[in-house]
Amino acid sequence: MEVMDWDKLHLSSRIITAVKKANIKSAREILSLSGPDLQRLTRLSQPDVKNLHIAVAELNRKAQPITALQLYHGVCPTLETGHKLTLGCPVLDGLLRGGVPLSGITELAGESGVGKTQIGLQLCLSVQYPLEHKGLGSGAVYICTEDSFPIKRLRQLITQQSRLRPELPAELVHSIRFSDNIYIEHTADLAALQACVLRRVPILLSRGLVRLVVVDSVAALFRCEFQSDETIERARHLLAFANSLQRLSHSFQAPVLCINQVTDIVDNFDPAKCSYGMVDTRVLPALGMAWANQVLIRLMLRRLEEQGEAGDSSRTPRKLEVVFAPHLPQAFCLCRVKEEGVKGIRLLDPSPS
Amino acid sequence: MQRSLSSFPFAPAVKMRLIHAGFHATADLCDFRPLQLSKEAGISQDEAEEVLQAVRSQPNQGRAAENKLTALELLEREQTLGTIVTFCSELDCVLGGGVPVGKTSEICGVPGVGKTQLCIQLAVDVQIPLCFGGLGGQVVYIDTEGSFLVQRVVDMAKSAVEHCSQLAEDTEQREALKEFTVETILSNLFLFRCHDYVELLAEIYLLPNFLAQHPEVRLVVIDSIASPFRHGFEDLSYRTRLLSGLAQRLIQMATLQSVAVVLTNQMTTKVASGQSKLVPAFGESWGHAATQRIILHWEGQQRLASLYKSPTYREATVRYQITGQGFRDVSPAYHHEASADPSAFSSGNAHKRPRVEEA
Repeated sequence: MEVMDWDKLHLSSRIITAVKKANIKSAREILSLSGPDLQRLTRLSQPDVKNLHIAVAELNRKAQPITALQLYHGVCPTLETGHKLTLGCPVLDGLLRGGVPLSGITELAGESGVGKTQIGLQLCLSVQYPLEHKGLGSGAVYICTEDSFPIKRLRQLITQQSRLRPELPAELVHSIRFSDNIYIEHTADLAALQACVLRRVPILLSRGLVRLVVVDSVAALFRCEFQSDETIERARHLLAFANSLQRLSHSFQAPVLCINQVTDIVDNFDPAKCSYGMVDTRVLPALGMAWANQVLIRLMLRRLEEQGEAGDSSRTPRKLEVVFAPHLPQAFCLCRVKEEGVKGIRLLDPSPS
Repeated sequence: MQRSLSSFPFAPAVKMRLIHAGFHATADLCDFRPLQLSKEAGISQDEAEEVLQAVRSQPNQGRAAENKLTALELLEREQTLGTIVTFCSELDCVLGGGVPVGKTSEICGVPGVGKTQLCIQLAVDVQIPLCFGGLGGQVVYIDTEGSFLVQRVVDMAKSAVEHCSQLAEDTEQREALKEFTVETILSNLFLFRCHDYVELLAEIYLLPNFLAQHPEVRLVVIDSIASPFRHGFEDLSYRTRLLSGLAQRLIQMATLQSVAVVLTNQMTTKVASGQSKLVPAFGESWGHAATQRIILHWEGQQRLASLYKSPTYREATVRYQITGQGFRDVSPAYHHEASADPSAFSSGNAHKRPRVEEA
């Protein structure tokens, strides 16, 4: 708890003396106490307490309110800038109206082997391009909780970058030392994950070494470390974890991609399950409502079913679907996992318009 | 009628001195001057001045008369305050014209069902000029989740302006339209960002002053009340206390400053007698906080809004949809029109689900 320097308040010394005498240490205490409670503790009058509340609130305020117009014109760069991080493919970017927003948690859920990690790796590369090419000019931290980091695949993606991004000047693509800017963390248990997010990731972000956090996957540790009867405890840890990611994302304007597993729908009429308006799905993202509430954008990646199991599974098209996002419709696009990366399939618009 | 001095909000020490010196009711002080009182009661002159000011500025009879309203007057006052339309006529109908000004409303729902969409829609709609039947007000938007994306406000503002320009008939309305543009809509929306409950509490303390400086504000949105209070509380009774204090200040603000207060709340899984279901967060006691409660939920592919608690209107469930333009009715004609027009919302390769299924 931050200890407050009461003398910074623009209040009469009488009020400040009363606060000190009441042994109140932090702004949080003042703001949490109701008027009558504070009056009782400090023995001040009601107008005094009101002024005290307002003065402390003002001192505690981090940013002045701004209008949406100022936000729109990018007057306040620490808030939303309108800049988005590209996925490295115009079709996928189109689905997300430009790319991944800088602030907030973006979740990508899907069955195993569908290509979630591929998209995570692709973002780790696209973040390294300068701003004018819709990157963030910085590196990425990749937190593995399931398998070891797919280093071979990363190398392959790096060598194929000029094929994935033919629109970029070749000398730019070759000038970036991609693998030097990806920091890999392996966390085998929840405590290690928390330590990583609370200590190491903030250091990387604050030194400007990275501006993208990928967690692959968020489900693995939370699913295996808790028994089925420990849902409340699990929710508590999940919320704390999500909150620290959100804080990092907001304060450094760094996108966070959380890869999530899926869970089968057992009972279609379970009142505690919400299918988010998806009727044609047999799976839902894992970790339940506690996690879903923390996610800004939820995406799902799945194999197209009609293609069947026949043939090379990596050739079957995938469907990247927006389940919810504050600025996107529920829509999808088709994509393929190729040698050079995940690419959207540009469809001819089937509607007459 | 006499008011006892002990009922005044003086500092306890001052109160004690006054009573010791034999002052018990307001009438005992009416002839005193500050200097006299400070000598008589043994308090400082500043304190004496404060006491006398408080006693004189609250003449008992005057205050009582001011607060006495007949039910008819109350009804009239409520009607002049008006409502904010949601652009979903079925929901407006259920709410008696829209979200009421001067009251608090809570919107609950699972993520992605449309809570933020409804809030942004209200933030745009409250600005519709008076001659179009709107309130011509400004908005305070407190974002605690980071889900306020200005891109989406621009979408909805554009279609609201378009909607009004199609309706414009007389010169007054055409004149008003010059002032009702996407730019002005954005400039009348004041955005506050809070990342934890301390910051939220601080903003709520500062809000009455902000509203006094901006008397045109008719809507205060808090999206969401849940996220700052959902984690980091070991002591749940402490949280309940904070929340009920907050609710009380919001109700006070809604009535005194004539604004509509709209809160959003998350859903949580509740396990009762072996059956689990989704309920709004913070339990039963928070259920009393807002005057009315709307729950948004899914049924298959259909979004539904249920008025769950209201002192004035009947509980009901209506359908709605989220389109590129915003929060809208589900009518077959409209639905068709919306899906035939990809609009600004869905770009190029993005297809709305219904259309794809037809194909």
